Amino acid sequence: MLYIHHHTCLSPQLTHPGIDLETLQSPIDNKLKAIEPAYEGIPPGMLRRMGTAIRLGVGAALNLLKTSNPTNGIIIGTAKGGMEDCIRFLNQIVQYEEGVLAPGSFVQSTTNAIAGTLGLMSGNKGYNITHTHRGLAFENAVIDAILQLHDHPDHTYLLGGVDEISSFNYNLERLSGAYKTETVDSDNFYALQSKGSIAGEAAAMFLVNGKEEGSGYRIEGISTLHSDDDEAVKEWTEDFLSEYNATPSLLLSGENGDQRHLHFYENAENLLPPGISIARFKHMCGEFPTTTAFAVWFAGTILQSKHIPAHAIKKQGENAVYKSILIYNNFKGIQHSLMLVSE
Amino acid sequence: MGIITAIGDSVAGNRLALKEGRSGINTSMDLFPSKYAGLLPFGIVHHSTAALKEKLQITAPGVTRTSLLALHAFEEAVRDSNLSSTGIAATGTAFIGASTVGGMCLTDELYGDAQEADKGSAYLESYDSASVQLFIQQRYGMKGFINTINTACSSSANAIMNGAQLINQGWAKRAIVGGVDSLAKFTVNGFHSLHILSHDLCTPFDINRKGLNLGEGAAFVVLEKEEDIDGKKVYAELTGYANSNDAFHPSSLSEQGDGPFLSMQGALKMAGLQTSDIDFINAHGTGTENNDEVESRAMLRLFGTAPAFASTKANVGHTLGAAGAVEAVYSILNIAGQELYPQLNFTTPIPATGLVPVKEYGKKTIRHVMSNSFGFGGNCTSLVFSKA
Repeated sequence: MLYIHHHTCLSPQLTHPGIDLETLQSPIDNKLKAIEPAYEGIPPGMLRRMGTAIRLGVGAALNLLKTSNPTNGIIIGTAKGGMEDCIRFLNQIVQYEEGVLAPGSFVQSTTNAIAGTLGLMSGNKGYNITHTHRGLAFENAVIDAILQLHDHPDHTYLLGGVDEISSFNYNLERLSGAYKTETVDSDNFYALQSKGSIAGEAAAMFLVNGKEEGSGYRIEGISTLHSDDDEAVKEWTEDFLSEYNATPSLLLSGENGDQRHLHFYENAENLLPPGISIARFKHMCGEFPTTTAFAVWFAGTILQSKHIPAHAIKKQGENAVYKSILIYNNFKGIQHSLMLVSE
Repeated sequence: MGIITAIGDSVAGNRLALKEGRSGINTSMDLFPSKYAGLLPFGIVHHSTAALKEKLQITAPGVTRTSLLALHAFEEAVRDSNLSSTGIAATGTAFIGASTVGGMCLTDELYGDAQEADKGSAYLESYDSASVQLFIQQRYGMKGFINTINTACSSSANAIMNGAQLINQGWAKRAIVGGVDSLAKFTVNGFHSLHILSHDLCTPFDINRKGLNLGEGAAFVVLEKEEDIDGKKVYAELTGYANSNDAFHPSSLSEQGDGPFLSMQGALKMAGLQTSDIDFINAHGTGTENNDEVESRAMLRLFGTAPAFASTKANVGHTLGAAGAVEAVYSILNIAGQELYPQLNFTTPIPATGLVPVKEYGKKTIRHVMSNSFGFGGNCTSLVFSKA
């Protein structure tokens, strides 16, 4: 059990500072890029050297590290970290034929640079780790936070998920067929009968501990699976629901417009009671390996505000009061996760 | 246990080379396409990528050298543990790997794929660090918890810690844990740009050390709970682990070495040991100006008088994301063989600390060994292995 006391999200929507989810921000050129605030508290020289992923991660996390009592560690999930810097350095290698290179981009390119920079900037000498297991990088960070809190029940951790769109990872994903070629907007995001989704990015950060008192919401259960088999995924979903005796009032589905993987989301819908409400979130953040960090933030926001923006609702169920939300997501039809987020 | 490095393709081969004081680091680098091949010394695994594919019977496209090295060590580890393919695939079997470079060993292919192009290479899904674990997961149809960790040079020590915690808390019955990295133009140029690659063989803890030699390799170990041993072969017990951050600089350690001090102290505390109980430390000992002096200071600060210690980086080079797991295997071998291996290339101690590593092979009573791994981003992890 993991209680979330504070959260901050930098995303393509109006999520920080101030939250307005009713005014939906649409994709531009099939990309949902994060809206970046005026970063306060980051020295300008440092800010200039940061790539997008580090900026988003640090920008979302710094105020949380300040609001908390001492934070005991930093647990980040990011599939790619600072790909932008990685390729910047790669370009230097080729361009200068392995000549004399500036090390800045190399140091910033290591996937653990977000957690490392946060440790450095907040002087946090505690547990510090970066999970990079692609579409389950954030889920594995959540599980790690549960592991640390089990061994250290009095601790508080910064937990987060971050990934960026860089021109380079965009190209790799585009070539692999991950993106749609037709123009996508908020209205047709789920309607186009084609392969692929659109690129997105976000950073969502959470202050978590084992104390219910003063918390905003909780992650009650989590499970992950690697499979491309419908039956295996169904069985695993049923096991999860019975293990947690879960009767969620809302399914928050990771449906992303990619017709190739729609069947997994439909299976999940069909396994739940017919009266359940169904909502979606990827028209808000796009597709990337750590979207579930955005989904947990969104679920928490729904639970706390007791409201879902109309554009997110796929099916209004019998119950309009949401006490418990089941998030189901899969990344590229292989990496699946279920999270139960509750009041 | 399973391992492949510049000094051998197996646990037995690595042990023999350590015992005989052999190094696998040299400048004969026909296997590695870089300007620095033949100029700088590297600890390369002496099999071409094609030969590894053939040996492992891999014909599928898009499989990188990093994944092949990992599979080689993984297969030895599961064979050594008598783990059946059913056991490997079981829901209760967790698999946690670590890598810093992942498939970016194919630096030139990545460059090509990242530029505007109509058609990508076979490696589009193989560049990230997770690609290694996903390759092995799919090959064995693994249904348990699968993870990839990247904390730079302490990555695979954290994979071992993650696996142990999953088992201790009932998330897994057993865990196959470790890491891999292969030589990459990317990391060679990265470390070169930081001016920490030595032009000669690295000399950890020596006053005249001039930097590190990069290496490549992979290592995995199979962890199980004490109550599940049931007559199986047991090399050692993992009794302590701790992860801390130096919170000082993105690519170097603070003078007082708070990160290394805290990780060593935490692992010792968890193991319930006194400083005098540690019989040997497999030091991080990269051979850089910064690391070796800071690590020495941190050892003195915690232990008063430093225990016997040595760095195996002069044998295999710095294998980055694999280093924690490679050195975990070496630490376990210290216990299993009740022996210490000589550190190579050491002549004169650092004046400020005066520490001298183990220089001769010898039999010794070894109950507890500490293994240190420190990385960029201030990431420090220490493990303690004990005689079972």
